[in-house]
Amino acid sequence: MESLLLRAALLAGAVVVCVLVAAVLRRRAGRVRAVTDGGVLSPADVDQPLGTAATLVQFSTRTCTPCRTVRRLLDEQAAASPGVAHVEIDAERRLDLARRFHVLRTPTVLVLDAGGRVTARFSGVPTPDQVRDAVLTGARGR
Amino acid sequence: MATTGSRVPGTTGATGTAPRGIDPRGPRFAAGITAVVLAVAVLTGSAWVLAFQVLVFAVAAALGPARSPYGWLYRTLVRPRLGPPAELEDPAPPRFAQAVGFVVAGAGLVAELAGVDGGVEVGGTLAFIAAFLNAAFGLCLGCELYLLLARLRGPRTAH
Repeated sequence: MESLLLRAALLAGAVVVCVLVAAVLRRRAGRVRAVTDGGVLSPADVDQPLGTAATLVQFSTRTCTPCRTVRRLLDEQAAASPGVAHVEIDAERRLDLARRFHVLRTPTVLVLDAGGRVTARFSGVPTPDQVRDAVLTGARGR
Repeated sequence: MATTGSRVPGTTGATGTAPRGIDPRGPRFAAGITAVVLAVAVLTGSAWVLAFQVLVFAVAAALGPARSPYGWLYRTLVRPRLGPPAELEDPAPPRFAQAVGFVVAGAGLVAELAGVDGGVEVGGTLAFIAAFLNAAFGLCLGCELYLLLARLRGPRTAH
């Protein structure tokens, strides 16, 4: 590649890509999407009892820094809400679950109702308000 | 029933409750230097500059971000001027990111040395995107792609 102009254009293009990627991920972070027909997760799937009102199932990986932030948020929410459980799954060790629920990135959180049905999901770091909304969606069992 | 901190066997545990931790501003600073070095490599098309960064990636991936060259720079030049970090971070994610950088930039370097025109530019630009995303926005591209790679690579059956 000879031209400096061409190289500079390549680099400028890379910066534009970065800004777009960051903007998309920021916008999508923590946005709770309601799910219909999202499948059912049983206590046997996660080797522990589900919440009597709702369960937040968090998929994490070792290499994921925001997963720790989400863990803290969800732990706090579960501690403050009777009947709400927080379950964390190492997605890398449970690829079966990651595939079954189409988890592509971490952190991804599935919101289960009392019966273990997936009622909503979100990826990335949510705000505390978004976590509260997600729990309500699960507890409503819609 | 708040089963807080529930660490199921076969689930988490490795994801970062380790007592050892690093100042999260270190990897961010390192990503900034990395982005500058890679930008220079792309603009000049210099295989030497890219080779230097590939070497830095290799050291950081092998020894961990705290003992990497840019981590050392951070500790000796920057950290003394800042307050202590608000919280510590698991070194595993940034270490993985360095390994990804090594593979991507290394592939570009190998291609260039094998006679592929633009190897430095393409490999350098791809690695630059990852470093710039981290430095400017705190995003870890390697971490985002980690699960996707694990799914492609991993066994099809349960456990």
